[in-house]
Amino acid sequence: MSSGPLRSAAPAAMRLLGGRIPYVEGPLKVTGRAEYTDDLARPGMLVGKLLRSPWPHARIRSIDVREARGMPGVFAVLTGDRYPTPFGVLPITRDETALAVEKVRYIGDIVAAVAAQDELTAERALATIRVDAEPLPEYTDPRVGLRPVDEPIHRRGLNGTNIQKEVRQHFGDVDAAFAQAPVTVRVHGSFAGVTHAFTEPLVTLAEATPNGRLTVWSATQVPHYLHRTLSEVLGIPMHRIRVIKPEVGGGFGGKSDPLPHEIVCAALAIESGRPVKMLLDREEVFYTNHGRHPTENDVRIAFDAEGRLLGYDIEAVIDGGAWSSFGTVTTYYNGVLAMGPYRVPNFRYVGHRVYTNKPPSGAMRAHGGTNIRYSVEVAFDEAAEQLGIDPFELRARNALPPNSDTINQFHISSTSFLRCLEAVRERSGWASKFRQLPYGKGIGLGCGFYISGSNSPIHFTPKMPQSTVHLKADMDGGITVHSMQADIGQGSNTLLAAIVAEVLGVDLDRVHVHPVDSDVSPVDLGSYSSRVTFMMGNAARQAAEAMRARLVRAAAELLGAPAERIEVGHERFFWPEDPARSVSFLEALHKAMEAEGALQSSGSFTSKPMGGSFKGARAGTAPAYSFAAYVAEVEVDVETGVYRPTHIYAAFDCGRPLNRLAVEGQIEGSIHMGLGQFMGETMNYRGARLLNPALLDYKIPMPEQMPEIDVLLVGDDDPDGPFGAKEAGEGPLVATLPAMANALYDAVGVRFYRLPVTPDVVWKGIQGRRAAARRWKGN
Amino acid sequence: MHLDPFELHRPATVEETVALARELAGRFDYLAGGTDLLANYKMHLNAKPHLIALDRLAPLRERRLDRIGAMVRLAELERDGAIRSAYPALAEAVDQVATPLVRASATVGGNLLVDTRCFFFNQSYFWRASLGFCLKADGDRCHVVPQKERCYATFSGDLAPALLVLDAEVEIVGPDGRRRIPLASLYDEGGDGIRRHRLAPGEFLAAVTLPEAARRRSSTYAKLRVRPSFDFPELGVAVACRWAGDRLEHLAVATGGLETYPRRWDDVTAPFVGRRASSELFREVGAAIRPRVRPVHNTFLPPDYRKQMTELFVRRALERLAPTSGAAG
Repeated sequence: MSSGPLRSAAPAAMRLLGGRIPYVEGPLKVTGRAEYTDDLARPGMLVGKLLRSPWPHARIRSIDVREARGMPGVFAVLTGDRYPTPFGVLPITRDETALAVEKVRYIGDIVAAVAAQDELTAERALATIRVDAEPLPEYTDPRVGLRPVDEPIHRRGLNGTNIQKEVRQHFGDVDAAFAQAPVTVRVHGSFAGVTHAFTEPLVTLAEATPNGRLTVWSATQVPHYLHRTLSEVLGIPMHRIRVIKPEVGGGFGGKSDPLPHEIVCAALAIESGRPVKMLLDREEVFYTNHGRHPTENDVRIAFDAEGRLLGYDIEAVIDGGAWSSFGTVTTYYNGVLAMGPYRVPNFRYVGHRVYTNKPPSGAMRAHGGTNIRYSVEVAFDEAAEQLGIDPFELRARNALPPNSDTINQFHISSTSFLRCLEAVRERSGWASKFRQLPYGKGIGLGCGFYISGSNSPIHFTPKMPQSTVHLKADMDGGITVHSMQADIGQGSNTLLAAIVAEVLGVDLDRVHVHPVDSDVSPVDLGSYSSRVTFMMGNAARQAAEAMRARLVRAAAELLGAPAERIEVGHERFFWPEDPARSVSFLEALHKAMEAEGALQSSGSFTSKPMGGSFKGARAGTAPAYSFAAYVAEVEVDVETGVYRPTHIYAAFDCGRPLNRLAVEGQIEGSIHMGLGQFMGETMNYRGARLLNPALLDYKIPMPEQMPEIDVLLVGDDDPDGPFGAKEAGEGPLVATLPAMANALYDAVGVRFYRLPVTPDVVWKGIQGRRAAARRWKGN
Repeated sequence: MHLDPFELHRPATVEETVALARELAGRFDYLAGGTDLLANYKMHLNAKPHLIALDRLAPLRERRLDRIGAMVRLAELERDGAIRSAYPALAEAVDQVATPLVRASATVGGNLLVDTRCFFFNQSYFWRASLGFCLKADGDRCHVVPQKERCYATFSGDLAPALLVLDAEVEIVGPDGRRRIPLASLYDEGGDGIRRHRLAPGEFLAAVTLPEAARRRSSTYAKLRVRPSFDFPELGVAVACRWAGDRLEHLAVATGGLETYPRRWDDVTAPFVGRRASSELFREVGAAIRPRVRPVHNTFLPPDYRKQMTELFVRRALERLAPTSGAAG
């Protein structure tokens, strides 16, 4: 390894990176010793509980909390008027409040809160609170909200409608493209809402101390946004608030907004003067939601006779639920994330996100990219059939090349999409299976494209890097890493440690990633938009290289050699001209410390400006993109419609995988989550009422439903990614769903446009095809 | 969500149990495995201030080929080779109940008497309050079939259909002594999702008995659900039969997961006894049962599909049980 700044994206030989690195916190987790927020306790801690709205939409006339306030064991009672400052994860759409102000907007909206000595007392206190409310018309169909309504859910709805965000984009000339197109396909996709269903429920612990400080421990993916929001809503300067993120048991986007219960818990701690813990039960987690939007899209795609893309014409109506959350981004993504992996010469998109009286939708793994990807990839399968071209060939003909720009000015730095196609075609045995398996068995292709980190940081004030990493090495020979990046089980702490260890040439056990704590962790924006490996990775590398330069100088001094010639070995520094002599890492460190004490270094990542100058041009820009080609094989019991995926071949381009164990885990988990949305998960509403706010009735696939999975990592190094890496956290999900749909079509000859595809739906589809006397594979 | 406090009683003898039941009349539930009851208690579903646990009653834990105590855990049955080979339908039903963790606690008696289920009933107090409650708990109307008289909650045990086709009987103990009735009579055909069995106040199940004849029948149980474990049945079909060559000598079909109680369809199946094995026969039996079942929309899968699957599941069960040398096919 060279001692200067690394010249190529990835050095030829790496000790750790590129291998299989077990999670650094793994031993603690599997022995039950890892500390999650609910494992923590403070002396005199109270229990915080929330009173939730039984109405989907109502105007609050009054809330009588007098009895609750007077109950023994009750230390604080809160209603919305105390902290009414609106907030939201996007500064441009702050429409949430900690507790309902004036109106409630969904069943489960927070009306009041209590802190009491124990859970029973808190619940009894809540039961005494009298809410006088006037029910308002409820809006559950987003299409109704596209037009003016009697009682808009929010004042900011467009022209008296419930529209939260409207996007209209047009690049090229779509009408002209379609007018001359010999082949057009059209897919109306309809997608039930799904939710993250992470393992660890939402939980927050807060303590206000007499020195004027507030400490908040919370299960969050975005400690920095929580920090900002607590400050804004509670009116306390950020420097007097300390946010700590203990271990987090999964997030998938469900912990990537600052959430109302976190603010309420902190407010209760302030009001009561006692530490307060608030652990939401599973039903409350379902109401907090922020899951994938129920969506309807209408996707038209035009091809020329050779199967070259002429244009996309896309419409989407997106059910936002009660709040904005990330909705403005969602609205863009439902169009613009169709821009890859193919070259699209003409593009039109009209998207509406509409408020409804349901739990808020938000960001969920492969946010904004999943539903549109489904419709596009199913349309490609239909087009391939119409054109008489193999689905692989049709995609290969349209693949975006590396170092290219899309029509809306996304820059594609690296893409190994063609290699994904080749690898998965061969491994799956496609050529001997497609349309050749017996009736009831099928094989299908679906492809994927996703951002490797949103290029635009959500907060612009003050201007600062999107990720910062600090290192400290002291005389004990340990290296402590500080950063506010949020490990939520996806392995970012491990990657952080491994990058530092790789660059410094030391064993992994020297590196300790300090838990996220705003008092010591420099700002990183958090775990969302698949940004962590790319942005934190680059920052960590920079910090480690800065520290390495000082160690190398010290080693050179000890060796009496020129610093620019010193190389880094395993736990040592040496001069190649005299390799027998070397300086251990510790010797170099102690030498370097002589003048200044413990070594400290810093690294950061700031994205380059990207995108065009039109409205919404930044949405979907990313410093790199991931690509995927998946093949699914299914077996259908054609008499019952019960089916199972038997094998999924997942070719993925994440650039260079830095921790193969983690990447494979992300891909397998993404497939499981994608199968869930495809096979059975649904936020099952009857009007505004969620019928299944429980894991028994929310049908996450069981382990025995999982197929065999072959992971094929075929990416080229990305020129800007840390050591050539790109994301692998969200992109691996999107190809799963259309691969399944196209495999089911191959199996039984039926297209499925509505998710989830439960057995009764498959059965009905087969009945319908037979009734239409359309035969498939001889049946 | 909290569990309201209750007083737990753990009598050691049947006599003590009955005495307690008399003393606490109307204010207690019996506690078997607790896997369903305690979850319901946590949702404040008809919770009582006292629980009488049956786990210390040794006779209820006995397990023989002809008599299975009501407190035998499903996991024990699952591992019992003799019972498995004697009663395949029972073994298949047990294997498909919930998950291994649940089966470690859940009991035979508990599964036979498991409370009926409904989207509008198995919900938290908050959820139910927001809807104005329902007939089965705290309210006065049904949200599945809007009216105020009848509860449509669905019987969701797996063992009952299997044991019904095996001619099981149940031993019942209560303040008035011990009695034994056919399992079919345990369930109240005239009742509904609330009044679902015919146990008198204070009575509890002591055991299930199985006749020798049951061991000479071939039998099977099939379950429809969205996921292959964890889920309650959207439909359960048990079939038992005996063939003389390819002639059907005995046939019993029972269904669960469709209505408020598990049903055995003797009046439908009787005309088929004596027929020779054939794919027409299997089809006809299924087709004859389908129009009789009346599922409603209070589980995950739609009722019309569950009806169609009833026909198919009966046909397939018969195909599985067809005489190997027979003409079926």
